[in-house]
Amino acid sequence: MRRWQEASRTEELMNSGHFACPGCGGALAMRLVLKALGKKTIVVIPACCWSIIDGPFPLHCLRVPVYHTAFETAAIMASGIKAGMDIQGKEDIKVLAFAGDGGTADIGIQALSGACERNDDIIYACYDNEAYMNTGIQRSSATPLLAWTTTTPEGTPKGEPKKNMVEIVAAHRIPYTATASVGFPEDLITKFKKAKEIKGLKYIHIYAPCPTGWRMAPDLLIKVSQLATETCIFPLYEIEDGIRYRINYFPKEKLPVREYIKIQGRFSHLTEKEIGLIQKKVDFEWDLLNKKAKAQF
Amino acid sequence: MLRNFKEMRIEDYPVCAISLDTTLLNKTGTWRIFRPVYENKIPPCRDACPAGEDIQKYIYLSQKGNYEEGYQTILKNNPFPSITGRVCFHPCEDACNRREYDEPIAIHHIERFLGDYGLEKVEKKNPTRRKAETEKKVAVIGSGPAGLSFAYYLAQEGFGVTILEKESLPGGLLRTGIPAYRLPKEVLDKEIRKLEKLGVKFITNTTFPKNLSLSDLKTKYHILFFGTGAQKERKLEVPNEDADGVLEGISFLKIANLGKRIKIGKKVLVIGGGNTAVDCARVVKRLGKDVTILYRRTKEEMPASPEEIEGAEEEGIKIFYLVAPVKVLISRQRKVKGLECIRMKLGTPDSSGRRRPIPIKGSNFTLPADTIIKAIGESVELEILPKEIERTNWGIKTDSTGMTNLKNILAGGDCVTGPQTVVKAIASGRRAAERVLWEMKNKELPKEEKKEIVSFARLNTFYFEKRPRVKMSKIPLRERKTFKEINLGYNEEELLIETERCFSCGICNQCDNCYIFCPDLAVKKKEDGYKFDYDYCKGCGVCAQECPRYAITMYPEGEL
Amino acid sequence: MKLNEITGVKKVVTGNHAVSYGVLLARAQVIAAYPITPQTQIVELLSEFCATGLLKAKFIKVESEHSAMAACVGASISGVRAFTATSAQGLALMHEMLHWAVGARLPIVVANVNRAMGPGWSVWTDQNDSLSQRDVGMIQLYCESNQEVLDTTIQSFKIAEKVLLPVMVILDAFVLSHTSEPVDIPTLEEVDAFLPPYQPRHYLDINNPQAFGGLTSPDHYYEIRMKIEIAHQEALKVAKKVDEEFKERFGRGYGLIEPYYCDDAKVILVTSGTITGTAREVIDEERRKGRKVGLLKIRLFRPTPKDEIKEVLLRADKIAVIDRNISFGHSGIFAQEIKSIFYNAYRKPPIFDFIIGLGGRDVRSEDIKEIIDYVFKKDYPTEDAIFKGVRL
Repeated sequence: MRRWQEASRTEELMNSGHFACPGCGGALAMRLVLKALGKKTIVVIPACCWSIIDGPFPLHCLRVPVYHTAFETAAIMASGIKAGMDIQGKEDIKVLAFAGDGGTADIGIQALSGACERNDDIIYACYDNEAYMNTGIQRSSATPLLAWTTTTPEGTPKGEPKKNMVEIVAAHRIPYTATASVGFPEDLITKFKKAKEIKGLKYIHIYAPCPTGWRMAPDLLIKVSQLATETCIFPLYEIEDGIRYRINYFPKEKLPVREYIKIQGRFSHLTEKEIGLIQKKVDFEWDLLNKKAKAQF
Repeated sequence: MLRNFKEMRIEDYPVCAISLDTTLLNKTGTWRIFRPVYENKIPPCRDACPAGEDIQKYIYLSQKGNYEEGYQTILKNNPFPSITGRVCFHPCEDACNRREYDEPIAIHHIERFLGDYGLEKVEKKNPTRRKAETEKKVAVIGSGPAGLSFAYYLAQEGFGVTILEKESLPGGLLRTGIPAYRLPKEVLDKEIRKLEKLGVKFITNTTFPKNLSLSDLKTKYHILFFGTGAQKERKLEVPNEDADGVLEGISFLKIANLGKRIKIGKKVLVIGGGNTAVDCARVVKRLGKDVTILYRRTKEEMPASPEEIEGAEEEGIKIFYLVAPVKVLISRQRKVKGLECIRMKLGTPDSSGRRRPIPIKGSNFTLPADTIIKAIGESVELEILPKEIERTNWGIKTDSTGMTNLKNILAGGDCVTGPQTVVKAIASGRRAAERVLWEMKNKELPKEEKKEIVSFARLNTFYFEKRPRVKMSKIPLRERKTFKEINLGYNEEELLIETERCFSCGICNQCDNCYIFCPDLAVKKKEDGYKFDYDYCKGCGVCAQECPRYAITMYPEGEL
Repeated sequence: MKLNEITGVKKVVTGNHAVSYGVLLARAQVIAAYPITPQTQIVELLSEFCATGLLKAKFIKVESEHSAMAACVGASISGVRAFTATSAQGLALMHEMLHWAVGARLPIVVANVNRAMGPGWSVWTDQNDSLSQRDVGMIQLYCESNQEVLDTTIQSFKIAEKVLLPVMVILDAFVLSHTSEPVDIPTLEEVDAFLPPYQPRHYLDINNPQAFGGLTSPDHYYEIRMKIEIAHQEALKVAKKVDEEFKERFGRGYGLIEPYYCDDAKVILVTSGTITGTAREVIDEERRKGRKVGLLKIRLFRPTPKDEIKEVLLRADKIAVIDRNISFGHSGIFAQEIKSIFYNAYRKPPIFDFIIGLGGRDVRSEDIKEIIDYVFKKDYPTEDAIFKGVRL
């Protein structure tokens, strides 16, 4: 039995009664991230599910301050707050931008790229549920190939592969880029603890399934997360300085993507041929990642 | 509270939309359709254990290093873990869900560790009790596992118990039937010493009914328990079975195990496939003779436990499969000189589910031998039982608690069931004791738990690493020429590794999965586990899905 | 560059640099800006101030104006004084975050150099960029001279921090931004005495974990918005007081509006920005000729000092509003505003609207003179807006 360390003993900085759907990966992601970052954290939330989850005025779910901001401003808002804190001598306060995939890969990519290029001293977490879930499951650039959404309806599933934010961000050569998953809390917490100690921009892409939008039972939240990693669809890895890759988790036995796909309604229309195509792409990416991880400098 | 917010006037508001309270005001429990409930279930090992030992619990306690409590846990169902930890056929391990993942947990090795720990560390602390606390006197006929178990549980409750044994030393089959290399005499003696400390009296060399009749006993004791076993060797039903050199397995083992001298030849054949047959062969081997086992089916159908067969093979004992005796070949002095055999093939399954052996015509052959040990099964010596006792075709008739048709007379073990196992005998002794306690002391009979038995499919094995079972160290082959115990037992390190393999099927062991994965922080830690905060639990079911051991059940809201 | 060489002196500086000096003296703590013509010198000089350590501020060189304003919002809610500067397209891109600054009640100061909106690309002045932001809820102050630019920048921080509203300081592209004038630059001590360090009343505090700007239902939204309106009413008084205090300390005051020869005027021109300066000269000339014409300079556009405006304008028979802006399909924006003030007045003088100088086309003295002539000749306007100078 794997044993929990940090995940078990760290302080909770979130209250119950939040407004997430049952089985929300985004809610769990926040909970775990705050366990890692601790009390001296300020959270910036752009438009995303978390705008709702934290609670409508006058309520608030987190036990740390939250600044709700406009959709495209997560990164820069965090930078602004961090600058303000620094000039006041409150350098020990960490500022976390916590944005969805749309707020990161689409509308927020400019501000994120700006913050990356300036290497602003913030932590940017993208909780990726692979579509605009808060607005009702519309396609984002992080939606995977051939997935159903309300804007890629039956008959015209998404024709383009998922945008690779991790690579885009890493290309800025920021000190720390990583992937994490709610299915692997210990790894996630370790990465955020690590990020906390690094100066400069830290980007962590969190796999945070949305049972509502993925058309599956809420209790499959963790299972589907773990399958994503076990099938190598969402590998757990980190990149230092944008170049040194390290794979943090190797699947026990690399499962076929079918295992992952078959439990999600958003893929229920896929043919065997299409699943084969996805498998090929996943195999290619996994192989590529392994090659990068083996690169010597 | 929310309504009060709605009545706020402009001066009550903060300068902008700044929160005034927490989401704890929002009781999301009202969203719930399914309700998770912590509900321990029955692990298959426990279900399969004839004594109903709380195996998961003592494995869990062992993991935490709490050996004493682990030992005490076993004692609730089985007073002699040092014995069963060595000789039990461990159906628990056959049922273990881990079998479907990699290899079953070595439950009986763990049991043995705890049993030995108990004998060494715990029992010494127990004071010796000289006098019985109750007036009720109890006599036990036969000091085998059933009788010892019955005596233990009653003596613990203060009954004055006397055990009658026809041999010179107590223990019954445990002493006479099981060779010391499997169950050392010191271990047995220590287990029996437990009873003595509880004030149990042993009267040996006393045969029922020869030395003491039923009426003698009835006048002296309030309660009687028959645990006389099944020790009559079944016949081969072949010519010359009564020849000089044909021995009965049970008798052979008894003489050998009691350390008496026994005359056997250089070439020995053992007929049969059960543990008695294998025990006989391994004893013969230790006496330095050439020995071959003949069995009429194949290895697969062999009733002896696989460890025993493996042990025998390791020690160089030949086993001829699909061979049945036809006739004992004798000299003029009616001394055995060989065995005529016939080869068999397997036909359709019989009532036991095993394939029936069918002789192959004309395949007869002979094997030279000067001793033949027949060990094809035992039966109850019905003729020694009092006539008044109602009986079945194979033994004494009792109800499920061991009560016979006669008032205050109970029975258990092989004399009721026909030849069975040590653990079943121990269990029957305990059940009979519970019956007595119910009648005499108004102690409630343990209720049978109507809980779900956890199947492998119900587990979430993601959290377990594949890891082989920890093999128990054995003495080297060259040292197996004496009756020295073969298995060396686990050390603490081995025990920890093995116990950590346990899935803990159906029983929460506070692994924290439910706590960690709850997106709603509705799982609260308690000292002895968790509780759901139903004010906030949305019923997503993640906890139940991620519980590796199915200790959480989801019920439709309102159904409970 | 030494502080005592550049402050406490009279210097010839551009409008843009006047802004920079104002920000330096106000000790802004976080600056975030993106370059856009004609604002660039503001941030260039501020960069130098930061680089030399004269100004102890974090300068975030953002990748867009949207981010500039977002960074200011972040800095401000962290509890510090924040500043940005922009123009035209940049201000338009900021639009969403201007709402944010207002809704979050953050005292950010924005300098906007009035520039015409593209396309076609223009870098020259008109007011459509700032007036397009009329309804976000910011305070807007239009400046006439470089001295006023510097003084207004300093005043703006004080007003903003008192009423918790962002303030836009507005100056005309090139006419002010790139034109040098002698400007009195006060000392840091003088400004410190006038403008104490920012004491935030709401800010991100890890010891008091609150959420800012969460989802606000119809049950609460209106009350919270009402507070913004109340703050604007308050800002009228505060702006006036701040200007008076400034005048006391520095000898220069501007008022919320400035009437010029209005007491006996038959016709009053209404202007804002640098057209005021041109108009002032024309008025002087006309007065010398004996024509009873006056001028009302609107400095504080939002909140609108309606009563003061009404009081002055009611002295005249006719009013001529000069708009360097247009609300397409309607008329000039200042004219609409002035007209709306009179709708419920006991007397409604005729209001003429002249739309002039769009895209930075020169507004000459002759143009103003022609406007005066026109209004004196006509009893009442025959069209909603007169498109002055356009080649029809």
